[in-house]
Amino acid sequence: MLKTEELQINIGPQHPSTHGVFRMIVTVDGETITDLKPVFGYLHRNHEQIAEVNTYLQNMPYTDRLDYFNSMANNHAYALAVEKLVGIEVPERAEYLRVLMVELTRILNHAGALGFLINDMGAWQTQLAFGMREREKILDLFESASGARLMCNYFRFGGVARDLPPDFMPRLKDLLIAMPAFVDEMERLLRENEILLQRSENIGILPKEVAISYSVTGPMLRASGVPYDIRKAEPYSIYDRFDFDVPIGAVGDVYDRILVRIEEMRQSKRIIEQIIQQLPDAQGGHINPKARQNVRPPAGDVYARVETPKGELGFYLVSDGSLKPYRYKVRAPSFINLTPLGDMCRGYKVADVVVILGSIDIVMGEVDR
Amino acid sequence: MDIQRGNIIVMDRRRGKLRAGQGLLQGLKVVWDHWIGSFRKNENFSQIHGTFTIEYPDERMKLPQAYRNMPVLIYDDETGHELCTACYQCARACPPEVIHITQAKDPNTGKMVPASLEFIIEYDACMSCGLCAEACPFDAIKMDHFFELATDDRMGLLQRKADLNRPISYYTTIAPDLWDEVKEGAMKKLQGSIKRRPGVIGIAGHLSDKIAARRRELEAEAAAAPPAPADAAPAAPAGKLSPEEKAAKLAAMRAAKAGGAAPAAEAPAPAPELSPADAKAAKLAAIKAANAAKKAAEASAAEAPAAPVDEKAAKLAAIRAANAAKAAAAEAPAAPVDEKAAKLAAIRAANAAKAAAAEAPAAPVDEKAAKLAAIRAANAAKKKSE
Repeated sequence: MLKTEELQINIGPQHPSTHGVFRMIVTVDGETITDLKPVFGYLHRNHEQIAEVNTYLQNMPYTDRLDYFNSMANNHAYALAVEKLVGIEVPERAEYLRVLMVELTRILNHAGALGFLINDMGAWQTQLAFGMREREKILDLFESASGARLMCNYFRFGGVARDLPPDFMPRLKDLLIAMPAFVDEMERLLRENEILLQRSENIGILPKEVAISYSVTGPMLRASGVPYDIRKAEPYSIYDRFDFDVPIGAVGDVYDRILVRIEEMRQSKRIIEQIIQQLPDAQGGHINPKARQNVRPPAGDVYARVETPKGELGFYLVSDGSLKPYRYKVRAPSFINLTPLGDMCRGYKVADVVVILGSIDIVMGEVDR
Repeated sequence: MDIQRGNIIVMDRRRGKLRAGQGLLQGLKVVWDHWIGSFRKNENFSQIHGTFTIEYPDERMKLPQAYRNMPVLIYDDETGHELCTACYQCARACPPEVIHITQAKDPNTGKMVPASLEFIIEYDACMSCGLCAEACPFDAIKMDHFFELATDDRMGLLQRKADLNRPISYYTTIAPDLWDEVKEGAMKKLQGSIKRRPGVIGIAGHLSDKIAARRRELEAEAAAAPPAPADAAPAAPAGKLSPEEKAAKLAAMRAAKAGGAAPAAEAPAPAPELSPADAKAAKLAAIKAANAAKKAAEASAAEAPAAPVDEKAAKLAAIRAANAAKAAAAEAPAAPVDEKAAKLAAIRAANAAKAAAAEAPAAPVDEKAAKLAAIRAANAAKKKSE
């Protein structure tokens, strides 16, 4: 009887498919993965410790650098945490602006993430270029509102840094005209494409129970069939005012993750349309004028979480009553969604590892803080 | 699990009615459409086809007003005054702590002045978060739109105040609406801080013409201020001289006399007979001349600080006399050996002293006026304080 020998190989840390500096110790038997161990920490930059020597507001621009695709969503989680700790009220208009920015972030993240996923499958740059084009339009809007494309630093305690510029709304409405065409086109390109189906159907299945036990969140969890969305389960900000659906997958494979993300873009567009309707009636300005930015919260601790495009992002803050947080902990969705990678990859081929990793949608800046 | 205000949609994985290969062709159609569309320009956000490329170095995107890249300091075009008052708010707000400020001091009183002496931003470590611009209560620090900072010299990114200064007119070209929002308050605060800035402190360092203009203005103020109160208080009658003026006059007269005496003493020296005695006399004369000249110099030097305006001429004369006398004294020891030289030296000294004497008398007149002005100013100030 012919016997094969197991071989241990490294994929990464310097590898173009790993979305940054991420290492996988893969044990292969021929082409089949028998074990996979993710190794993090190559992009560690002492984020949490730096946050403890900064004042509360000074941490805001640092949260941009966690998940640099979704700086608005990171800002939102951190602002919510500090507001909860200090007890700052946010005006209605500011809440609308926040949700608007975060939902735009969700669209741009999924447009980019699907592009990178298809890129990992070998459709070099095609979907990525289309996705990036729509992403750039949204970044243009971010730039006109916040001043920067990626590191927006737009949220403040009690609101947002500045109100929308006059040309923002017309451009946003133009963008919403283009958005269904873009999403439909993406679906036409991907949905029934035989190559894509070959690469993604029944690949990297994450069963519901396993996903829950790993505390996976976001589109990953929903693709596994759990309708858990923090915007619905524990509505923060003003998410209880909007009608939107929660897409879930039936199997929990890579294909479901693609479909769930495409549908989430549609739902985000729905939310933005409702915001455009409701924003003119919103009370208050873009920021609570009584809110001090140089906050000195009372001693205590707080945990606030939001549904970022990647999953549950939470900030756990402990205050000792001084100007700086005593402890600052980030519950990063990319990090936790990455942990079941070994379970997802076992039994599949080496080429599938890259696709499964791409379907998790990680940003290494958030995995290693 | 049920959800409020929405449904749970289970994603439809079923394939359509497409036959094998048709899905691929459908995807290729999308790519084809984009290729066809790439021959025209994408005009606005509502289109997904067409090129939206901007050929960067040749054409540039119009940056939104709120765009922020690196912080700069702004100054007022008209007065040249910087808006920054060195309040350290930006340095405190800065997360990477790259702002370093030194506050300016009044050189006369040693007190802090609301202006910065030096302002350094380490551009290489700046994270462009814009918190400094938000924290600034004087709207002195703003975020620039310039982004082509690439350099092979890392220390070149350490920006000092001279590199950071931008006029308001520049800021209004990049962000007119943002400036309009804060303009009124910022200019009001600037006027307040200008009042508390003595001399040329607070004027952007590279504006040498503004600084020169400010200096002239200060001089004119100093010159114009005294006569007005002096008219109200005719403290110093023209005929009578104050003790200080008298002393000055006396000193001047002495200097003149000394200058005049020297040539008189020396006049007999250049005698036809060149005897040792004569040589001695010549030496004596030279020394006397030197002493006299020195005295004259000392006298005018003593007056110098008191007479601010026209002392220059007097001082110059005195210095010239002193120099000439020194030269004469240096040559004098040679006299016993070469009497002719001694004589020459004596004559030279005498001439120099004469010249000094001729110039010196002119000085006291001008000095008088200067001193008078000074005293009047002092009196006026006294009266004011009373």
